[in-house]
Amino acid sequence: MTAFVLEAVGLSREFGGFYAVNDVSIGIEQGRIHALIGPNGAGKTTVFNLLTKFLAPTAGRIVYKGQDITRLRPAAVACLGLVRSFQISAVFPHLSVRDNVRLGLQRALGTSFHFWRRGRSLDRLNDRAESLIASVGLQAFMGETAGQLPYGHRRALELATTLALDPEVLLLDEPTSGLGREDIGRITELIRGLAGERTILMVEHNLSVVAALSHRITVMARGRVLVEGSYAEVSANLEVRAAYMGSTNA
Amino acid sequence: MRDAPGQPLLDVTELRAWYGDSQALHGVTFNVYQGEVVTLLGRNGAGKSTTLKSVMSIVSRRTGSIRHQGTECLALTSDAIARRGIAYCPEERGIYSSLTVEENLLLPPVIAPGGMSVEEIYTLFPNLRERRSGQGTKLSGGEQQMLAIGRILRTGAKLLLLDEPTEGLAPVLVEQIGAVIATLKQRGFTILLVEQNAHFAAGLADRHYVVEDGRVVDMIARADLAASGARLAAYLGV
Amino acid sequence: MIEILTNWMDLLPPAPALFGQLLVGLINGSFYAVLSLGLAVIFGLLNIVNFTHGAQYMLGGLAAYALFTYAGIGYWPALLLAPLLVGASGIVMERLFLRHLYRLDHLYGMLLTFGVTLVIEGLVRFQYGSTGSPYPVPASLSGAWDLGFMFMPIYRGWVVVAALVVCLGTWFVIEKTKLGAYLRAATENPKLTRAFGINVPRMVMLTYGFGVALAALAGVMAAPIYQINANMGSEIIIVVFAVVVIGGMGSIKGAIVSGFMLGLAEGMTKVFYPEASTTVVFIIMAIVLLVRPAGLFGAVTLTAAPEAETHATGRALVAPATLRLLVIGALLCGAILPLLVYPVFLMKVLCFAIFACAFNLLMGFSGLLSFGHAAFYGGASYFAAYAMKAWGFDPLGAVLGGGLLAGVLGVAFGHLAIRRQGIYFAMITLALAQMVYFFAVQAEFTGNDEGIQAVPRGVLLGVVNLANPLAMYYFVFACFVASFAAIARIIDSPFGQVLKGIRDNEARAISLGYETGRYKLIAFVLSAAFSGIAGALDALVFQLASLTNVHWTMSGHALLMTILGGVGTLTGPVVGAIIVAGMENYLAQLGAWVAVIHGCVFIVCVMMFRAGIVGEISAWFVRRHAMGSNLYPLQAAEPRIVVSGPAARER
Repeated sequence: MTAFVLEAVGLSREFGGFYAVNDVSIGIEQGRIHALIGPNGAGKTTVFNLLTKFLAPTAGRIVYKGQDITRLRPAAVACLGLVRSFQISAVFPHLSVRDNVRLGLQRALGTSFHFWRRGRSLDRLNDRAESLIASVGLQAFMGETAGQLPYGHRRALELATTLALDPEVLLLDEPTSGLGREDIGRITELIRGLAGERTILMVEHNLSVVAALSHRITVMARGRVLVEGSYAEVSANLEVRAAYMGSTNA
Repeated sequence: MRDAPGQPLLDVTELRAWYGDSQALHGVTFNVYQGEVVTLLGRNGAGKSTTLKSVMSIVSRRTGSIRHQGTECLALTSDAIARRGIAYCPEERGIYSSLTVEENLLLPPVIAPGGMSVEEIYTLFPNLRERRSGQGTKLSGGEQQMLAIGRILRTGAKLLLLDEPTEGLAPVLVEQIGAVIATLKQRGFTILLVEQNAHFAAGLADRHYVVEDGRVVDMIARADLAASGARLAAYLGV
Repeated sequence: MIEILTNWMDLLPPAPALFGQLLVGLINGSFYAVLSLGLAVIFGLLNIVNFTHGAQYMLGGLAAYALFTYAGIGYWPALLLAPLLVGASGIVMERLFLRHLYRLDHLYGMLLTFGVTLVIEGLVRFQYGSTGSPYPVPASLSGAWDLGFMFMPIYRGWVVVAALVVCLGTWFVIEKTKLGAYLRAATENPKLTRAFGINVPRMVMLTYGFGVALAALAGVMAAPIYQINANMGSEIIIVVFAVVVIGGMGSIKGAIVSGFMLGLAEGMTKVFYPEASTTVVFIIMAIVLLVRPAGLFGAVTLTAAPEAETHATGRALVAPATLRLLVIGALLCGAILPLLVYPVFLMKVLCFAIFACAFNLLMGFSGLLSFGHAAFYGGASYFAAYAMKAWGFDPLGAVLGGGLLAGVLGVAFGHLAIRRQGIYFAMITLALAQMVYFFAVQAEFTGNDEGIQAVPRGVLLGVVNLANPLAMYYFVFACFVASFAAIARIIDSPFGQVLKGIRDNEARAISLGYETGRYKLIAFVLSAAFSGIAGALDALVFQLASLTNVHWTMSGHALLMTILGGVGTLTGPVVGAIIVAGMENYLAQLGAWVAVIHGCVFIVCVMMFRAGIVGEISAWFVRRHAMGSNLYPLQAAEPRIVVSGPAARER
């Protein structure tokens, strides 16, 4: 068997009689960028929430690095190095850019429950925080309040915070949604730079981003996996064209 | 139909819209004439659904102009727009789980005479009649879509905004929905259709607008469609 | 066999007593059902926990009384007129206030209705005093039926039947009619429903009016049974909150069934273990929360987070050197003030200030709104008073012991309440605190209405005699400085950073690997412990521990001080404490008006100055100074008081 770093087998999730995700199996290979695509309502985000434990599956099993994580709590999964982003930009709006990233770095210190310790004890994270912020191009906004950044910058900050956890697997939920063209280009390059040592699973609508980045693509429709393969294989698949692009004879 | 005389039934110019502080529409311009079926085509996230929501005034902030029968509607609330005779069928269908099938069907108030009767709607969608007392969301996806379309036919509204009626449906059902839309056009409804499925749209619409990055970037009339296949494919990223 | 049976029967109370109490339970249950039904209808459509519901129930009874006394209008017309009048007042309230809060967090609605409650109850107390006004049973329903095993007053039978009819009628209208379909649709998806041409805002307004009218109807029905008085509403509403938590919010059926059930449970408890009859509902609530956090009839609902209000982030920009000067100035001020101002008043300010800072640690920095902090404040006062008087504790020991006790209580409360979020958290803490209140009313050692009086202040560490007011003042001042410094440190600490993150975006904090529940629990316990220190000091200062300190209005004080001063600011609660204590002190001769003024301040804060005094001032500073470079942000001023649950948005 190939070494899947993250694998789901027979994953299902039912909402009041309706199967949002139905018997989905998916395997993510180490160091690859894997894209999950499909039309609206195909169940991509639900799969995402299931993999990161934000939703409990009705059936199925999730294995991460050989460990069954089906019953773990979301925070515990994050501690194992499986970290997600959100569709709607998820920053801490009232904290500064630096404090946002420090919140990602801070857990590793093991002092997060220390309510008696000085805040300045976190200052030793500043260098690392600043280099992460610089790596997403936000060095000019270090002290700004995150909520006041433009949308594209907030998405970049979110990525920096996620990277602060030094995750092995990143799950990115529509990393380019709501972005302008130049921001899309920047985020795409950032993601490309991450692959290799890290593994990435992303839900993405923008097919040119998917084409540019993904090693492997899983297409979902109506809660099921339609097909899996490389971009060429997937885009050649008639069923995909019918379900997703809807142009069998275009 | 583009050169139909008189003013358009719906005339949208330079429409911009925001969700919170993320701008979703950057200037959408298009029009729909009486009796036409017009589609908005484009990739996921291009701003097609937002355009419909903006016409219905469901989006928090908008600028530009939306004229219906010559009257500016930008300042109207969504219930006032509905009462002007514009009916909306939302993406993901918007069937109420706390209502039965029949309650869902009867929910939108009649705003003008000339709507279809419940009997006619049941004739158009026989499945709904059988399951009228069941819970709305217990219907299959296709039945839910029929219910979502059916319930706006009763109200007397003449302009229908349909948001991805084929989304997530099996090919057989897609065909069925297509037949329904053709029937509705024959009955004199004017239809603005949001679609991702260009193949489906091609068989139905008089004109297609292509939406990209929150703007209308192209318009293709039915007659030119065959010649513009490659262009369209490029837009849709196929 | 028969012998055993009769033996067992002997243990039972005599049948008339049993059935009598069951009837009382059924009657209470009727009111619970009608009131929680109204709350459920309002909550469903408006997403507001209508704290005013109790006051509106009281107003219904009062309107019937006034109609009778001033206009000679009897029971039957009043049964229609009083709900109409009170319902109309509800509509006015919706138009003037509530309408402007829908886009904000649900908690603001609860805070607003809390303020309105203070105003209404204060006005009624001012006009009619706290003693009850009797209302005659209508002649057509006087007398009793002899049922053989007991006498059944006809009026009481009528109440049960009428309540059932009202509940079932409402259920029928909502579940089976066209109007009900509109209501359900608007509850489920207001935007889409509006886009179908239904005037949802008008429906919302009328629904609020209807829910309020239901409360008033219950009030009219209650008038001949209970004495009408200003407090009758708030007493029942807290029990009704517990009923709602048990039944599951938003479930019409749940509201009705659990209302009647819990009334009966209360009646049964009165027969078998009368001591627990006032607390049994809260105990059941605690059990339900442990076993089925969503309530008996509730599903786990994932409500979408409301659109967050965007505030210009305020920052008081103070350079470190200036900050040091300010701190020294404040310390000097505190040292000199008792020579200029009456020390007991200053001590009251300091006790309140500790309380408010502790409360703000939870509300402003963890995003949790507790309505139950009176339990910690009051519980610790009782402990300190008793420890000083009966056990001869050292004053420092009594204060620390009070803090410890409150902390332990906080572990228990927090463990239950943290299972639910937002408004549920507020309702659960309120109900749990009410349990402590009833315990204080019943327990022997608390001295009941008198409280524990003549508490000795003791000799601090065997050296300083605190009977001297100045010595006592400096002791309280030292406790305040220590508590304030400790709370400031907690906010600044690594732990505080995580708390702020959870407040801002809980789902994101979880995705970064923080077990947010544990952080919230610790914050809750710390907040409870400091509230306990404040309460224990209060008992020493006034040499008294009384029911006032454990009453829900004390929780309201903490809220008022925090909101008035500025939620989420460091110094705001102190400013709020000075103002609130000042109002209490200098407006005391106005009597009931104090509550009215408190309520008005609440309303003004919630409607117009959600950032509070310090928050607004620092926002103003920021606007003036634009961006500083090497300056030090002293405090952020933003009223963020809730976090949305994980997975709030699905698909």
